[in-house]
Amino acid sequence: MNMASNIKSTTTSIASDLKPTGIKLFFKKLVQQRILVLMSVPFLIWLFLFKYLPLWGWTTAFQKYRPAKSFSEQEWVGLDQFKFLFQDERFLRVLRNTLAQSGINLALGFITAIILALLLNELRGMIFKRVVQTVTYMPHFLSWVVAAGIIQATLAPDGIINMLMIKLGMIEKGQEILFLGIPKDFWTILGLGTVWKDLGWNTIVYLAAMATIDPAQYEAAEMDGAGRFRRMWNVTLPGIKSVIVVLLILNIGNLMESGFEAQYLLKNGMNIDYSENIDIFVLTYGINQSNFSLAVAAGMFKSLVSIVLLFIANNIAKRAGESRLF
Amino acid sequence: MAKKLLLTCMAAVLVFTAACSNGNNGKNNASSTASSSAPAATESAAASEKPLDKVTFSYFLGVANAPDVNTNETTIGKAFEDQTGVNFKIEHLVGDLKAKIGTMIASNDYPDVINPDAGIDQLVDAGAFMDLTDLIEKSPNIKRVYGPFLNQMKAADGKIYYLPISAQVGDFVPDPEINQGAFWIQRRVLKEAGYPKIKTLDEYTKLIEDYVAKHKDEDLTGLISLTHDWRFFATSNVPMHLDGYPNDGNVEVDMTTFEAKTYYTTDSTKRWLQKLNDLNAKGLFDKASFVDNYDQYLAKLSSKKVLGFFDYGWQSANARNLLVDAARQDPTQDDFVYFPMPLTWDGGKDQLLDPPGFVKNRGIGISVSAKDPERIMGYWDNLLKEENQILKSWGIKGETYEVDDKGRFYRTAEQIKKIDEPFNLSFGFRYFNWDWPQYGANSTLSDGNAFAPGFQPEVFQMRLTDADKTILEKYGVKTYSELFAAPDDRAWYPAWGIPKTQGSPEQIWETTKDEVTKKFYPKLVLAKPADFDKVWEEYLTAFGKLDTAGYEKWYTEQIKAAIEAAK
Repeated sequence: MNMASNIKSTTTSIASDLKPTGIKLFFKKLVQQRILVLMSVPFLIWLFLFKYLPLWGWTTAFQKYRPAKSFSEQEWVGLDQFKFLFQDERFLRVLRNTLAQSGINLALGFITAIILALLLNELRGMIFKRVVQTVTYMPHFLSWVVAAGIIQATLAPDGIINMLMIKLGMIEKGQEILFLGIPKDFWTILGLGTVWKDLGWNTIVYLAAMATIDPAQYEAAEMDGAGRFRRMWNVTLPGIKSVIVVLLILNIGNLMESGFEAQYLLKNGMNIDYSENIDIFVLTYGINQSNFSLAVAAGMFKSLVSIVLLFIANNIAKRAGESRLF
Repeated sequence: MAKKLLLTCMAAVLVFTAACSNGNNGKNNASSTASSSAPAATESAAASEKPLDKVTFSYFLGVANAPDVNTNETTIGKAFEDQTGVNFKIEHLVGDLKAKIGTMIASNDYPDVINPDAGIDQLVDAGAFMDLTDLIEKSPNIKRVYGPFLNQMKAADGKIYYLPISAQVGDFVPDPEINQGAFWIQRRVLKEAGYPKIKTLDEYTKLIEDYVAKHKDEDLTGLISLTHDWRFFATSNVPMHLDGYPNDGNVEVDMTTFEAKTYYTTDSTKRWLQKLNDLNAKGLFDKASFVDNYDQYLAKLSSKKVLGFFDYGWQSANARNLLVDAARQDPTQDDFVYFPMPLTWDGGKDQLLDPPGFVKNRGIGISVSAKDPERIMGYWDNLLKEENQILKSWGIKGETYEVDDKGRFYRTAEQIKKIDEPFNLSFGFRYFNWDWPQYGANSTLSDGNAFAPGFQPEVFQMRLTDADKTILEKYGVKTYSELFAAPDDRAWYPAWGIPKTQGSPEQIWETTKDEVTKKFYPKLVLAKPADFDKVWEEYLTAFGKLDTAGYEKWYTEQIKAAIEAAK
């Protein structure tokens, strides 16, 4: 249009030495940075198309959705789906399972990964270090189908654990324990299984963070007479603290995602009270029953809780004066 | 530098446009074939000798029973393509059926042809299938085969959305093998006990107990059970069969009053679970039955360590066939082949063989996304011609079957040997065995031969090994099915095949019932024998929350309606 005149008028306003405020300032900056603004347009469109437009689908949660009918033909039911969810004892149970499973995974995963990273960092024998790293992160590349098969075989009545227990005289032959059939042990099995699978992978980021610590700090600490554990405690750990906090915030935001494959593959009739999580619930009572509205309502609930958790965690970090997301 | 960059860019653009235009050409070609084939399609049913443009339709099959294939890559499928110019690309199920169907519905994008197995109600509900009524009118062979069943095939709105797979044609021939439920037992157990005639479950478990006691060091498993996922019914259906009823699903139907009753809380179920509990306490039951998946179950069956189990023939066939094949190669392995037995609580009449029935809630339909429904129907109509039914069932004369001077079909020993699993796949028997519009398995051809080779007595006799003949002789029968009582006529059979609408109280009852039984049956079986009654009470309380009376009422109405319709 008349870009030229615009520029002209802004230049004159600068020339007139009046400090622009409010809307004027906004437009001034807009014009000044027009190239940047234009460059970001495609990404905003992308963001809108793929991240915000699908939120339209959330309307499904307030309908009694029938597939293959148009939007105007759907029956609106208000909060009925949510009411059903929160009154269903099954849903409260799967909610408990979801939080417990991911809580256990979070705590176990964090502690083991940091400890392993600290230990690896202290190793001087490169070959041994590499071997340990490779061995621990190999299982990450297995799909859960294979991993669950391995876990099942290990825990089976004729599996290695029962065999060991018999050899050690802890149980009699014929009294093999059906580990996957003990409901309360499911969380432990899942937690340990996840640690086994992802331990090595999770250490990578901490090792990278440790690599950025200035060696001079170690030398100084050594001069001051700090031993190995002192150095770990007073140099390495504070050095990676910011990474730990950021990862913790991110993971707390994901607390409602306890995973799907592992539970789905390891669950059976006996441990269902402790293995079924929200995702499996959505599959059996939402998608399998063609009750898509319920599935969407559950998914929506999950997202909302995740956002709240993320804000809380971030806020705590902020108050504690730590690095944070925003 | 800048020049170089420009050159590279131009080269990239050139390559890109070339690739694109290539792609476009390809697409144009494809679409032109498709469009030109459309007018020809209408005539396809009438004049199949006229050369037609080739076309490929996508076909989703909700059963994972073979590798994906183009039908024209098999001998049989190639013959059909030559006749009609139609090829189907079959995609088998991977993963969870209901989830797959749900995604299909959500995206509203369907393959041309769908055979969704248990997911059919969902698809009909979503309007995924087109009405076939008019197309059936135009197809003489489909009308001939499905004509008597058209009324039963109508959905609630009076339209026909799919063709079921079990239309009976001609006379009814019973299956000489056991494809339905049976208590299976290893032949060595019977051999050692002197081939006793077993009638009740108690005698059966006693036999197993005695055998294990005599062979303590062999690490044998007395009994296992299949419980994985939807196959759980292999364990939960047993009380119904022991009561002397056929597999009607969740109900037993009284033969005089035609009342449908569930059996999940009856004494019969309690007795069955107590029996398993007792075997478990004695170390004869494999605990892992409740955590193993289907593959692990099959692996255990073929390990030769398991003495007995209850299952349906079609469901355990993969494992049992391995043992049968091994015994054919090496007669000493015959000890490990399983022998079927019909058992009841009191030794009375069993009803394990399927009565003649018409499964109405499974079938194959054309989706609303299909490009050319006439052409697909034309293919099916052509498939249902008798000569083509013979081709897909018996194969090619002189190659996979012979005809004697009386016109009876048979197979020579070499032919039987030749037809193994790889052959079934490449020839196409596997792909055309089921899952298409076809004659029901128990049908006969117009010349009196059995439609299915396995049901032809001549073929059955040829397949038997010497050891098979010996054991059949010991029990005084010529076929395995002779061991079982003849099925009574049941007009509604099978009751599980009566369609239920999505999200109906009946379906919710079934989902919740599954959950309760899957949770409590293992508890009951693995409980300490002293605690059994206590757990049973807990189970009754949990089960009491279900509207079982409403479910039974619905079924009784449906069954009475089915009897009316059959009159």
